[in-house]
Amino acid sequence: MALKQSRRSALKYGLLALGALVMLVPFVDLTLGALRSPTERLARPPVYFPAVPQWQNFVTVFEAYPLARWILNSVVVTVLITAAQLATSAMAGYALAKYEFRGRALMLRFVVGAQLFPFFLLVIPLFFILRYWPLAGGNDFLGQGGRGLLGTYWALVLPFTISWYGIFLMRQFAVSIPDEMLDAARMDGAGEFRIFRSIALPLLRPALTVLGVFVFVYHWNEVVWTLTVTRSSPELQTAPIGIHLIRGVFDNEQEQSLQQAAILLTILPVAVLFLSLQRLYARSLGGGLTGQ
Amino acid sequence: MTRERRLAPYLFLAPSIVLGTVFFVVPLLVSLALSFAVWDSLKAPRFVGIANYRYLLTRDPLFYESLWNTARFVGATIIIGVPLALALAVAFRRSRWKPLWRSAFWLPMVTNIVAVAYVWQFLLADPYGLVNRTLSAIGIAGPAWLADPAWAMSAIILVFIWFHLGQDMMLISAGLDAVDEEVEEAASLDGANRWEVLWHITLPLIRPTMLLVLMTNLVKGIGYFALMLVLTDGGPANSTNVAALHVYRLAFENLRLGMASAAAYLLLAVVMAVLLVQFRVMRRGGLDAWR
Repeated sequence: MALKQSRRSALKYGLLALGALVMLVPFVDLTLGALRSPTERLARPPVYFPAVPQWQNFVTVFEAYPLARWILNSVVVTVLITAAQLATSAMAGYALAKYEFRGRALMLRFVVGAQLFPFFLLVIPLFFILRYWPLAGGNDFLGQGGRGLLGTYWALVLPFTISWYGIFLMRQFAVSIPDEMLDAARMDGAGEFRIFRSIALPLLRPALTVLGVFVFVYHWNEVVWTLTVTRSSPELQTAPIGIHLIRGVFDNEQEQSLQQAAILLTILPVAVLFLSLQRLYARSLGGGLTGQ
Repeated sequence: MTRERRLAPYLFLAPSIVLGTVFFVVPLLVSLALSFAVWDSLKAPRFVGIANYRYLLTRDPLFYESLWNTARFVGATIIIGVPLALALAVAFRRSRWKPLWRSAFWLPMVTNIVAVAYVWQFLLADPYGLVNRTLSAIGIAGPAWLADPAWAMSAIILVFIWFHLGQDMMLISAGLDAVDEEVEEAASLDGANRWEVLWHITLPLIRPTMLLVLMTNLVKGIGYFALMLVLTDGGPANSTNVAALHVYRLAFENLRLGMASAAAYLLLAVVMAVLLVQFRVMRRGGLDAWR
């Protein structure tokens, strides 16, 4: 029995350890690459473990590339999107959960169904809606003449100011807010918005934290839309996009190490954020949200 | 009921309704309209009826090829990825050092896809990438993964499974956490061994979760193209040109916006067909609603 027990746990931990190794080795490979010197890269076969780790690459990269600007862009866009999505999702979810009104059932069904539409369907029309946005970026009121909202932060933020998933998630949480609490506040003469702010929002905080981190991670990492919109606007590029476009242009041994250092620096903040909050997600709260 | 209370829900919903109309409903309608037109974004669109659809379905060889690529990608990632995630989730369930395992398995999925592509480009490089160096150490000559049309899709599939495994594991773990341990204990007291408990008790209990995982993988997989966009751009020789990427490239590389919209709607039809089948299966599988 004891033998069987230990064989079973050897299998279990063997599987987990092997899996974890496969997951982590690429990050080790990336780190070693960032620390390698050009001569070590040029050797045949290349030196795998750098003899003298080139730590200064992590500093040089800020001079070689506009990395600080890229990271600033990532921060601005991601923070704006997260704030907007939390606000719209909380309000809409609360309304769908706690009020009786005409069209509620229909709207709820729409929110559920809309989640199923894949993003590739929206990329093309969204791009041109922003391009021909009236009276913006040199456009006349018919949307002709300029670049519209392309080339502004708006283009990166506006399409993601709401999320059907976020609304649905908030609605699912808001349903459990006791009606008695809301009615008691009404008896005390509180206005509807006041009730939302001082009763519903505090109760929704755990759910908002979960949604907030997911949205933050997702949009920090967003690539398809940002690439489409900022290809011709270098000043708006986020870190992943900047590196993606520059790697095709500057491709030699020195640059590769710098690019690997830059990549590592873009992974770090969200990895730390997400993994340090992992307990929140360990429970059954809607996974699958990070789907890129 | 007070007037304020009657108005409140509409006010709370107003921002979402406005933004949802401008950035979701209108775009869908615009692209539906465009799918019946020829448009290069410069001259005015020209209405052509169903010509785009007819071209895609009867003449364009690339469209069917891209659908086939999507099928290979989705099929392989599910057939390999989901059982792997299930095995790992089962091993993870009653293990020690959970935060450690979680950190390892979740790290790839919080990594942006450009970083994923860049990292794996070096790992899969021929002959000095870590993968082929390891293979040659055990006497196997690895292929030129990303440069060889015969191997590029396999490389994409492997990288995607690496990237995505944590998410499936997370969902399945949540399902396993919800299983009532007393049922399992009762079975083992009745003399069932661990494998029998797993096979006859636990797995049937998490069937709804597994169906949900399959469904998300299918729907998301059909529309997925980010990794192909940044790692191979559909190449070499269109071997990784999945349908969603084909749509994207028709639009932003070839500026055939009407054709791209038509292809997008055809692909949406595929997604919807899959969903219909799925809903049927799920209803039979005891999961009667989306949630």
